[in-house]
Amino acid sequence: MSEAVILPLNEDLLGPPERLHPLYLLTGLGKSVKGAWGLLAGGAVLGAQGRWALLIGIGVAVAVATVIGLLVKWLKLEYRVGRDEIRIDSGFLSRTSRVIPFDRVTDVDLEQGPLHRLFGLARVRLETGASAGSKEEDGVLDTISLDRAQALRELIRAHRRGEAAAPVTEAVAEAPALYAMDNRRVATAGLFNFSLAVIAGLFGVSQTFGDVLGFDPFERSFWIGILSRAEPLRNLVISHQIVAILAGTVLLILLGVATGLIRTALREYGFRLDRTESGLRRRRGLMTLTDVTIPAKRVQAAILANGPIRNRFGWWVLKLQSLAMDGKKGDHVIAPLAQEEEAAGVLASLDWPVAPSAGSWRRVSRAFVTSYAAIVGPPALLALAVPFMGAAGLSIVAALPLLGVVASIWTLIIPFLIGARWLSWRRTRFAFDSDTLFVETGWWRHRRRILPLRKIQSIDLAESFWGRAFGICTLRLGVAGGGGFADHHVPALSREEAQSLRARLLSQ
Amino acid sequence: MTAHAIPADLHPVEPAYRNVLRVQAAMFWVPLFAIAVVVDRLLLAEMPFGGLLPVAIGLIGLSGLTVAPDRIYRRLGYAMDGRLLRTVRGWLFHTDSVVPFIRVQHIDVTRGPVDKMFGTASLVVHTAGTHNSVVVLPGLSPDRAAEIRDAIRGEIRADAE
Repeated sequence: MSEAVILPLNEDLLGPPERLHPLYLLTGLGKSVKGAWGLLAGGAVLGAQGRWALLIGIGVAVAVATVIGLLVKWLKLEYRVGRDEIRIDSGFLSRTSRVIPFDRVTDVDLEQGPLHRLFGLARVRLETGASAGSKEEDGVLDTISLDRAQALRELIRAHRRGEAAAPVTEAVAEAPALYAMDNRRVATAGLFNFSLAVIAGLFGVSQTFGDVLGFDPFERSFWIGILSRAEPLRNLVISHQIVAILAGTVLLILLGVATGLIRTALREYGFRLDRTESGLRRRRGLMTLTDVTIPAKRVQAAILANGPIRNRFGWWVLKLQSLAMDGKKGDHVIAPLAQEEEAAGVLASLDWPVAPSAGSWRRVSRAFVTSYAAIVGPPALLALAVPFMGAAGLSIVAALPLLGVVASIWTLIIPFLIGARWLSWRRTRFAFDSDTLFVETGWWRHRRRILPLRKIQSIDLAESFWGRAFGICTLRLGVAGGGGFADHHVPALSREEAQSLRARLLSQ
Repeated sequence: MTAHAIPADLHPVEPAYRNVLRVQAAMFWVPLFAIAVVVDRLLLAEMPFGGLLPVAIGLIGLSGLTVAPDRIYRRLGYAMDGRLLRTVRGWLFHTDSVVPFIRVQHIDVTRGPVDKMFGTASLVVHTAGTHNSVVVLPGLSPDRAAEIRDAIRGEIRADAE
């Protein structure tokens, strides 16, 4: 489609040509600046060297080029909304003419950045099935007025219902939300979202560049400077290195929590999920508002996720695996923090169960732990054997550098590895009830997958030589959509159990 | 809920498939053996374990050419009834996969040059799943592969919902 493909125009079926909103010149700027980080860094270097004339010259040239580029893009992009399809002609050097039939449009997503909101504009994304695998988005109208966007969405919806385009009617009295988050809930979600990765990253930065940046909360000097007004605390720090280390740890944790709070608030503020006639509609965001619809028919699996801490408080994250991706972020999160009853309410609106009837959960084999222990365990024996190797005439092996150290560390880690495996065994179970397969796995990353039978595409029974020695195999289920690593399976089933479960799944 | 039995009468594939496997193994192991010989002569001749590498590769390759194809062939089987296709393969990593016909998106029958030499073909079944979305059944006679394809084709549904 990169060459000039000029489709014949049929003026009767296609509407008049329309352009993006002129303010695209402004809203498009943000993306251009984001793409120019390299230039900014280069500019900073030039600035530091004091070569201002060159810097200003380059800056002006880049700014002019960007504006001209946007202007050409704006002039060359034309869309026509027809009765049954939308056609988008774009590009200057390589011209693309794309036609998307409304029948194939599954989601119409609206997104509003801060600038969009200021001027009542929106970015429209038309999802078709084709975008599930590829990175490229199907149909994007970057900046059009919000009214036009809503009219377009209503037109496409009406077309799907098989009606003529109804005039846009602002929902007179909106039905109560299926699920919504108040500020307190958002804050709670933020507390659970504190990121160990951020803490680890900050620790790494402070240890590597702390001297240059003057930021190393594990050094006494850092706190002495800050606490110069608070004499007793300062003396405490001076006398005890451990206090500095403790204070540094607390500071990093606070930073991690704050990062989680801010990130969550930016994304989830004003979260609201509604049931529409064809699916679910999700609106959220603090600075950038997004408005996403998820057609109920295309949902392939529901996933309830939590970890040990969330689980203690009974909180779950509810996600839906659909044929389309949520932007580029994988499964659609439709409830960032919900109790099981709330999740049940959301799923009930789709006629999906949240849990099997009481008593139908079944555990998996204990070999889930023992087969794992039999792999990680034996290397530890090496550590015990090292002192005796010389006597056994294996002094060459014993002299390998660090062998003893590595083996000893391994020996210390093993109880934690096996313990974690045991904990995840305790939380692994499955149930088959009311035409739905429920699978729970994991401890640290606990997941409950809800798979309706009619969405299961294929069933594999996999048994490796290792598992066979312990009498277990894995039942792997092929389900459409989801990310590359999304994999639904029931681990550690005895062969008979796996075969009978498979027979029951296939018996419908 | 009447439990349909999963077809248990596994059919073997064409015996000629063993020859396909042998040729494929030869195409992998012979060049590797040649490289091993060259490396041994040029680099490892002076070392205490000179000569070991080509012998080891040669032995493994020979077993790959003689023993393995028979075993792979013996472990490979398929079964089908009016509703599903089952393929069973492997011992070290055993898989037993079942695809209901109504879940199949599209089907290929492919034949490479080696397949043509020995009169075999592969049936490739695509489902909508992200995982295990492709089930390959090699070593069928072209007629049988086409027959299975036609049997499944009648069941393919238009929409993946």
